[in-house]
Amino acid sequence: MSIVIPRADATASAPSSPQPRRKKRFEPVAGPLRVVLLLIYAVPILFIVLTSLKQPGDVISSQSSFLFTPTLDAYTNVLSTSGLFVAMQQSLVIAAGTTALTLLVAIPAGYGLARVDSRITTIGLGLLIVLQMVPQTANVIPLYQIFGAWGLLDQNAGVIIADTALLIPFATLLLRPFFRAVPEALEEAASIDGASIPRTFWSIMLPIARNGVATTGTLVFLLSWGEFLYAVNFFLSPGNYPLSALLAQQVSAFGINWPGLMALGVITSIPILILFTFTYRLLREGLTLGAVK
Amino acid sequence: MSADLTAARPSRRLSASPGHTRRFPRRRSLSRRGKLLFALPAGVFLLIFSFFPLAQLGRMSVSDVSARTLNSPWEFVGADNFVGSATQGSLVPAFGNTVVFVLIVTVIGLIGGLAAAILLSTSTWLSAFVLGLMVFIWALPPVVNGSVWKFLLGDAGLINSIITGIGLSPTAVPFLYDERFALLSVAIVNSWAVVPFNALVFRAAILGIPGETFEAARIDGANRWQEIWHMIVPAVRPTTLVLAVLTIVYAFRSFDFIFVMTYGGPGVATNTLPFLSYLQAFVRFDFGMGAATAVISVLLVLVLAVIYARSVRSEEAHS
Repeated sequence: MSIVIPRADATASAPSSPQPRRKKRFEPVAGPLRVVLLLIYAVPILFIVLTSLKQPGDVISSQSSFLFTPTLDAYTNVLSTSGLFVAMQQSLVIAAGTTALTLLVAIPAGYGLARVDSRITTIGLGLLIVLQMVPQTANVIPLYQIFGAWGLLDQNAGVIIADTALLIPFATLLLRPFFRAVPEALEEAASIDGASIPRTFWSIMLPIARNGVATTGTLVFLLSWGEFLYAVNFFLSPGNYPLSALLAQQVSAFGINWPGLMALGVITSIPILILFTFTYRLLREGLTLGAVK
Repeated sequence: MSADLTAARPSRRLSASPGHTRRFPRRRSLSRRGKLLFALPAGVFLLIFSFFPLAQLGRMSVSDVSARTLNSPWEFVGADNFVGSATQGSLVPAFGNTVVFVLIVTVIGLIGGLAAAILLSTSTWLSAFVLGLMVFIWALPPVVNGSVWKFLLGDAGLINSIITGIGLSPTAVPFLYDERFALLSVAIVNSWAVVPFNALVFRAAILGIPGETFEAARIDGANRWQEIWHMIVPAVRPTTLVLAVLTIVYAFRSFDFIFVMTYGGPGVATNTLPFLSYLQAFVRFDFGMGAATAVISVLLVLVLAVIYARSVRSEEAHS
């Protein structure tokens, strides 16, 4: 926390001192470049939404025209597919399950690794970094065989477990600096007052590090919402696919129905937009802290 | 235990104090070590679902494993899978593609990220809006971002409409299905997706530079370019080092955008090492060969991990 607060201050106060002066300056280069940057990131989003409001016929003639009669056909078509609500439910179950399980395991791990400086900690951190770097394809190949042998294929539990294993290193490494920032004196005070270690952890550490927990939880949810490699391979039929896997399957098919695909893209992104609106401030501070440590 | 004793017999606290002070640090260090137990569930979970699969991957890479023999005893074949993968002619191009891909994404990702961070480190509403938009796009599922770029880069897509419209090229540029452009296109889109994150981290480093430094430079008559070159760039150097490794790893692991935009094609043009291992295992059902290719990429990761650990250590030593 003691690290988070100064950083939050830095972003809030540092601009205020040099900024008024910088704003007054005439910026012949930076101003237009900022607009270019806006376009580079806004145009693709604009096109997802625009295309989802077109008829399939509008897209064949010219994909980039802005003049067309908007229609919600693509949405009604996608929503009337019986599989869509199953896919939404699957996305939600997998993302929520992964987030819960990852936090359950990674929070204590982040705390433990933050408080003990020993050789085991160094080795543990090194292994987590290595795991975080391993390409997902190196996991999916053996997991497919192992889950087949253990009866975890074609099950939500299999995908949740695989996603959790994928995200524990990331979550633990992100949480650790938040716990490390809590002054140890607080814990010592609690232990002198007779609180046990688990109790200190639960009622002192966890509330103080809640920003870190919220940041990590949000990111784990976002990542598992978008994950599709495990889903595509572990589910044996598209009937059980979450939204991301459905999208991945349709976009690599031949003869893409673009308005339908974009409508599906919008539907997949709306929950992210909602979550993002509530957590943006948190992410902005939390990511910068976690990335560097 | 010692806590129970002192609590139960407060009267003895004074007389026991010499022993107590001796025992207290030891108890504390014991309980501190005990806190490592908090990491035990994660350790067990990763042992079963990450390290055991990696060991299995290693075993697979030296065995003959096909879809049919996946769940029966595997026949040991030594280095056959590695040799087979190399002689099929896909391993070497995949290695080359991976290097090119990682280079493009890292260079654009770092320079673009720093440029965006400098542009957006002002407190105008436009900067705030653009930064928010960029982070939102970073948070979107890669399948969504990949899909829209596949659309925009199509023959009748926006990019080609602009190119033919202003007369840069008489016909549409086959961005995603020509061997010359495909890898470059996917790499640039991947950079586009990683720039927001790098910009966010760079921006925090820039905002951490004391305001007086800028004021002093301005009094001395430094212009904006001198400010960037002599103050911002040196100040973000440690951040750059860490971000460079993170971006290299991100680019190396990249799978989603290739899957969505080109599926490794045309031919082997966008086969990177991780993607090649996926194709070998799940499209050609040669799990042994896929595992062999994956083992090579894991070994490369180990090299990167050592570099990363060193750069983090030097970052911590400097700050």
